[in-house]
Parts: sequence; structure tokens; C-alpha cells
Amino acid sequence: MKTQRFKDSKLQRNNKDLQLTIGWLYPELMSTYGDRGNVICLTKRCQWRGVEVKVERIEFETKDEILKSCDLILGGGAQDRQQTLVINDLKKNKGKAMKEMFERGVPGLFVCGSPQLLGHYYMTGDGEKLDGLGIFDFVTKHFGHDKPRCIGNTVGLLNLELETKNQGQRKTIVGFENHGGRTYLGKVQPFAKVMKGNGNNGEDGTEGAIFNNVIACYFHGPLLPKNPHVADWLITKSLQVKYKTEIRLTELDDTLEWQAHNFLLKRAGVI
Amino acid sequence: MGAGATWPGELALRFNPDILSDFTAGQEVIVLVAGTNGKTTTSKMMREIMEGNGRKVIHNDSGANLVNGLVSAYIKSSNLLGNTRSKYSVFEVDENAFPNVISKVKNQKSKVQIKNQKLIIILLNLFRDQLDRYGEVDSIARKWKESLKQLKSDDLAILNADDPQIAAIGKELQSNVLYFGVDDQKEFLKHNEHATDSTFCPNCGYKLYYEGRYFSHIGIWKCVNCGLGRPEITSVSASSPLPGLYNRYNTFAAYLATKNLGIDEKDIKDILDKFQPAFGRQEEFDVDGKKMKIFLAKNPAGFNANLKTIIDLKAKSILLVLNDRIPDGHDISWIWDVDFETLQPEVNITVSGDRAWDMGLRIKYADLNQNAKIKMPSKISDEILQDKQNDNSKVKIYEELKQAITKALDGLKSGETLYILPTYSAMLDVRKILTGRKIL
Repeated sequence: MKTQRFKDSKLQRNNKDLQLTIGWLYPELMSTYGDRGNVICLTKRCQWRGVEVKVERIEFETKDEILKSCDLILGGGAQDRQQTLVINDLKKNKGKAMKEMFERGVPGLFVCGSPQLLGHYYMTGDGEKLDGLGIFDFVTKHFGHDKPRCIGNTVGLLNLELETKNQGQRKTIVGFENHGGRTYLGKVQPFAKVMKGNGNNGEDGTEGAIFNNVIACYFHGPLLPKNPHVADWLITKSLQVKYKTEIRLTELDDTLEWQAHNFLLKRAGVI
Repeated sequence: MGAGATWPGELALRFNPDILSDFTAGQEVIVLVAGTNGKTTTSKMMREIMEGNGRKVIHNDSGANLVNGLVSAYIKSSNLLGNTRSKYSVFEVDENAFPNVISKVKNQKSKVQIKNQKLIIILLNLFRDQLDRYGEVDSIARKWKESLKQLKSDDLAILNADDPQIAAIGKELQSNVLYFGVDDQKEFLKHNEHATDSTFCPNCGYKLYYEGRYFSHIGIWKCVNCGLGRPEITSVSASSPLPGLYNRYNTFAAYLATKNLGIDEKDIKDILDKFQPAFGRQEEFDVDGKKMKIFLAKNPAGFNANLKTIIDLKAKSILLVLNDRIPDGHDISWIWDVDFETLQPEVNITVSGDRAWDMGLRIKYADLNQNAKIKMPSKISDEILQDKQNDNSKVKIYEELKQAITKALDGLKSGETLYILPTYSAMLDVRKILTGRKIL
């Protein structure tokens, strides 16, 4: 996704003139593992820089105009019963608008159960095939409850050019995974390479997927607080797509964020 | 959890997998308390009321609440012939072990089985807890409902009417059912907490309507779609001996159970008035005129309830200790579901535990004191970074627990209280430092 560049524009220097609208998908239904942490993290990292933030809660009754007004879409994990309600509403109503937004370059972050939502289909443990939105070229299969779930702290190596300059060129990503389904990628780039953990399927070393500026991954819950480079990448991309100009975010003191990040790298034996 | 509380049971189970059935067969009264939060306090209340009434009780007071813990409690109170010294059992039971325990109790093959045995089940609540071990709230509720179909008409189930998933189980049971609940509009939350679990009808899946919520998904609820609603409660005149709304639920459940056993209302109240909390549950310590109070905080719902209580108690200093060992759950994502944003900006916060950095980060993003930076020890020395600009910091992070406790106490004036909110294994570590013992 190429954005127009206007060097030395006012926007590039001053974050205070900027505004970002975050679309939070079904906050009550898709919020199983502290997923709210991503909303809090993005909101604060914008506010600390003077970027004005608005969070739109996308519910069943939310109209497409509201959804389309969002500059960034966040999706969390859901329990089975809620997941079914969500996918039904997306397929019937909001899925089309969302797909258009993602094709236009609007960024998104989908954690936890998202592969079941965004891929071609999800095959349940009972062999039932549930259609997804088909935005990502991948399929997900559950091999029944005899096959162990993929659970634990996870470390990955990002497959993502972090175009913002202020993250110290960090390439690792840390988090926690907990999933029964296994995802197999088609013609789509993985989000990361697994350094520790299972990733998409425990077989091919891939973790998640990235399409345009949308990240889908098995890292669940509060992924962003311990990965401020990914948080800032999402903010930068959202603002660039919105304002059609290059954006430089003001630097923040992320000492504590990297302490928490490095703690998990050390524990995983990666550093 | 001390290994000593479970190994005798573990060993006995290897020789006789049905030993729990054999032990329970000889009991006149068996009370099983289950729920995410409150089981230790509720079962301790029951035990004290029954013992105050002259009935010696077999009880897993160490908190070992899997099958091996229950068997160990029986072994501890047995003579050499394997006969228990008491005919009354009160157990707290782990959420996931509960269906298996019910099956063991309901399938007694022993010849010494007591006629008219009384079985009382208390279900307190169901919140998200240690998801990486236990799967999801919905699936636990389903397993409980299934296993409780084994209850017979002379058994008794005492259920929380204000927890929709617990209350809905009552309709499916053959046994007698009593419901407890809180009727107190002034305790309704002004804003919903984030950590909500079952906001959907357990019967039809429609979004529930709440006249008011007390905490999380606990409140006065009904389904406008299928008509399912909060069942009628049995009112209780006893009041809770401990602060915190959730302790009212624990008190009401213990009251209904002991009253059903024929214990006089006045005796119950007298004993409850003198009730001392269980280990780590609002347990109090004194050090050189300064007080410390431990509030076990192991999941978002319990944590939010505890935060509300300590805010009401006007806490000035708190110590948060986050571990991620097996009893705590390896996944600490849940701390982002806790509403730390409700704390006053003036509160002094110290952070420690295995995952101190993660908890520190959570507090940083709660953004309580917008001008303050967060202090943490430098890598070289263990001292706080000497940055003059950081002197107004209200948050301090120490990976080492002993140091965290010492530093937090240093900041306290005589007579002031440090409120400690630890996860389960962190609570045992705190007690070990303060008392030299982990449990009792």
C-alpha cells in the first residue's frame, strides 16, 4: 500500500493536529482475554502525543456509516456461543463494508479467534464447515478435542517492515496463545515467524497473517502494550491512510514496555 | 499449595480410586461449596458455625480442593482403622473437579452407607479464572448442570440467584433448591465494570436486561425475550462480618445451609459476629504499628470487587503482586480486564511478583497520575533510579517481593494500612515472608 508523501508538511511534525477513530468490534461479545488492553494501549499512546482519539463501539445495531468513519479496526477473542453471533452479523451486515475498508488500506488488528472470522472457512471438531468472510487467504481446522490446544507464552520474529523510525528497530513480538484450531495459509504473508510456541498450526513455523495493513494473529488479548512498535505501526498507518501524508509519531519513553517485552524474550531463552 | 495437603490423598487414590466414595458413604452431612470466588470463606463460615454448635467438621481448610485434597482431609481425620472421627464434611471444591466429586459422592458402593445422608451443594458464582487451564465459563456451567442431574429429592442445592448462569441451573434439578441474593439498590454500580462474563441469557442467548448490577454480571437480571429471570430469594437476616459486598453472598449461603441443618438462627449470628477471615482473605498483620491487609485477587471479578472494597476503605497504599505459576494460571492477560482506572491518583502503588513488569505496564496505561513517571530499579543496582524529576512518582516496581514489602511499608505512617492484592501463589509467598508459613 503506497501513500502519497508530502515532505516537511505540518502534519508530519505536529501530532497535535491529528485525530484517530478506533472501531472496536463487539466489545461485549469479543472480549475474553483482556483484549481491552489493545484499545487502552492505542488510546493512551495517541493521547500522550496529543493525537485526539475517539473509540466507536461497533455493535449489532451500529450502522455502516459509523463503521466506515473508523480509521482502525480492532477485534478480540470470543467464546464459542458469542463467536457464532458475531460471524452471523458480520456476514449479514458489516462484512462487506469492512472488506472494502481493508482493501482501501485501513489497518486492523485481530487477535485470538480471528482466523475463524476472516479466512475462507473454519472446520469445527465435529466436521462442520463454517464460512468466514474470506478476506484472508487461509483456512482453519479443528482436529477435535483429543488434539491438544496450543497454549503458552509465544515469541515471534516480525515479518513486517516497521516504517516508523522510533522503535529502535525491534523485530521480535511477544504474547500468549491459546487456541484449539489450526490455520493454514494460502497466498498471504505470515505476520511473524515462530521463535517459541505453536503459531498457526505448530507445523510450518508461521504465526498469523498480514493482508494490506490488517494483522490477524493467534497472539491473544493485550498484544500491544508489550509490543509498542506494533502499536505505533498501527497508529502511523492509520493516520497515513487517513491524512494521505507521511506521519512521524512523537517519541515516547517506552522503557517499561521493553522491560516487559525483554522479560518474556529472556524467559523463552531467545536472548 | 503445600504438597503436604495433597500427598496422602494422592497415594490413597492410587490404591483405591473410589476411596472418596467410601469415605463419604459414612458421612451424615456433606456440604460441597463451589464457585470461582468465595469458596474458602464460605466453607470456613460453615465449619465455624457447625463446630460452634458442637458438630466436629472434616474440612479442607488448607484450600486443597481437588479430589486428592478432599481425600487427604478424610485421611487426616481418620483413626488407624480408617474410620473418620466425625460424620460432618464441609469441602470447598475446585470448579473443574466438581463434576467428578459429585459422581463420587452420588455413587457410594460401601456397605456402611448412612441412611438419610444429607447432601448440600452451594454454588456461589462463575467468573473467568485461569482460562488457560480451565477453558471457558460456558463449558464449566454446562458440566455443572449435567453432573447435578444426579441430585435426588432429599438433597439440597443453595444457588446464587444474582448470577444468571448459576440461577438457571436450579430449574433443572430434582432436589430442593434455595436461592440467595442481595436486595440493595444503593449498591448498584453506577457504570458497568468491564470484566463481565454472562451478560447473555443462559436459556435463549438473548442479551440480558439488568435492573442493576452489583459487580461483573452479578445483579438483578431478567431476559425480556424468553422471560427467564432472577428467581425468588430466601431472605436472610444475618449480616456479613467482613467488608465487601461479595462477603454478603458468602454469609447468606453459609447461613441458609447451616439453618437447614437445624442450627438456631441466633447461634448462627453469634458465631458469624466473631468470624475471622481465612488465610489471605482480608487477613490482617501488624508490623511495628503499621498494618497490612491481604486481599487475595486472582481473577478480574475478584480483583474488581477487592478494589471497590479498598477504595471504600480509603486505601492510601497498595501493593500488587502478580505471579503466573500453575495455581495462578500462566496467562496474565486478565489484568487488562481489571478496572485500575477507578483508583484515586493519590494512591501509592507498589508492584511486584514474577510478572511485575506486566503489572507495572497495566498501571502505567491506567494513567492515574498523568504528571508522574513510573519508577523502577535500574539493572545495575536494585535502587530506584535517582531522577529528581521522578520524585512525584506514585508507582514503584520491585521484582523482589521482600524488597517490595519493605519499601511499601517504609512509606507508611504509624497506624496506616498497606493493602496487599496478590494472586494465589503470590499470596502464599507474602504470607511466607510475613509469618514464615505459607498456609496455616
